[in-house]
Amino acid sequence: MNAPDYTKGYWNPFLAGIALGLVLLLTFYIMGTGLGASGAVARTAAVVAHVAAPQAVEHNLYFNGFYKSGANYPLIDWMVFEVIGVFFGGLIGVITAKRFKLSVGKGATFSVSARLALAFIGGILGGIGTRFAMGCTSGQALSGGATMVVGSWVFMMTVFATAFVAAYFVRKEWQ
Amino acid sequence: MTGPLYLNEVISVHTSLFLAIGIGVLFGFVLERAGFGDSRNLTSIFYFRDMRVLRVMFSALVTAMLGLVMLNRLGLFDYSLLLDYSLLKTYFWPQLVGGVLFGLGFVVGGYCPGTAVVGVASGKIDSIVFLIGMIVGIDIFALGMPLWGAFYKSSDMGRITLWQYFGTSMETMAEIVTIAALGAFVMAWLAEKWAPYDK
Repeated sequence: MNAPDYTKGYWNPFLAGIALGLVLLLTFYIMGTGLGASGAVARTAAVVAHVAAPQAVEHNLYFNGFYKSGANYPLIDWMVFEVIGVFFGGLIGVITAKRFKLSVGKGATFSVSARLALAFIGGILGGIGTRFAMGCTSGQALSGGATMVVGSWVFMMTVFATAFVAAYFVRKEWQ
Repeated sequence: MTGPLYLNEVISVHTSLFLAIGIGVLFGFVLERAGFGDSRNLTSIFYFRDMRVLRVMFSALVTAMLGLVMLNRLGLFDYSLLLDYSLLKTYFWPQLVGGVLFGLGFVVGGYCPGTAVVGVASGKIDSIVFLIGMIVGIDIFALGMPLWGAFYKSSDMGRITLWQYFGTSMETMAEIVTIAALGAFVMAWLAEKWAPYDK
C-alpha cells in the first residue's frame, strides 16, 4: 500500500520525538514543571460558563479554584500562555510548510457530518477524562511520564489500552 | 545556573509568563512537524497503520527523562525540588477512569487537547469541533462535582515516582524505561507489518 498524502512531508518520527523531548527538558529546566494543554481548556471552559452563570461558577466545587479572591483573571496563567504559543508555533509550522488547508480529517468514505458529530462527542469524553486524570497527553503522559510519575504511567497505559480496543468500533471513521 | 530556574526563584512570575509563549511556540512547531495537526496521523496508530505517535512520544519521553537524570547527576538540576514541590500527584482510580474516558475521546474525537490546537492552526474543522466538545465536557464535569467530587480526590498517593514505588533508584528506573521504549519501537515495527485492518 502506498503511503497517503497526509502522511508525507513531516519529520522522521524519532527526530521529531527527540526535538519534542528537548523542548520538554528545557521546560523542566526553566519551570520545574512540564508541558500541558488541557488545563488551558479547563480555564477557558470556566470563563465561558462564567458568562452564563457567574455566581454558579465562582461557587462551583471545581471552578472555584480559578476564582479565588485576589487571584488573577483565570486566563492569566502559565499554561494558557503556553497554549497560545502552541497555536502560533503550529501556525508557523503550517505556513512554512505550505500546509494550511480548510478541511476535515477523516477516513476517505466516512461522511463529514458524522465525523464532526464524533469529533464533538470525542471532545466531550476527552474533556471529562482530562479532569478526572488531572491532565492529558501533554501534562500527564509526556511530562509525568518523563518524570516517572506513577499516576501518569497508569493514565498513559489506560489511554492506549482503551483506544486500541475502542478503535475497532469506529474503524470506518478512519478507514 | 541550577535548574529549575523558576522554583529556584531565578526568574519571576512575569518572566515565566513571557517564556511560556516561547516554549509554547517551540512545542506547537514540533507537534506540527511531527504530523500531529491532522487527526488521521494521530489515530492511525490504533489501526497499526503508522505507529508515528508511539515513536514520537516515547523518544520524546526518554530524551527528557534521561536529560533530567543527567542534569541532576551533573548538579545542574535539582530533582529533589520536583519530588517535594512540583511533581504531579497520583490519584490512582480517578486517573485510571480518566484514562479510559480520554482514550475513548482520543480515538473517537481524533485529537488530544494540544494536538487539536495545532489542528486549528492547520485549518482542520474537526479539531475546532473537538475543542468545543472539550469545553462542553469540562463544564459537564464541573456541574457533576457534587456527584463525583469525592471520587475525584480519592486514592491520593501523593507525589510518587516509579522508582520509589518499585524500591529502586532513579537511574535504574530510567534504564528500565529506556529499554521498555526500545522494546516498544520493535513492537511498533512488527505491528505495522501485521496491519490487521488493511488486509
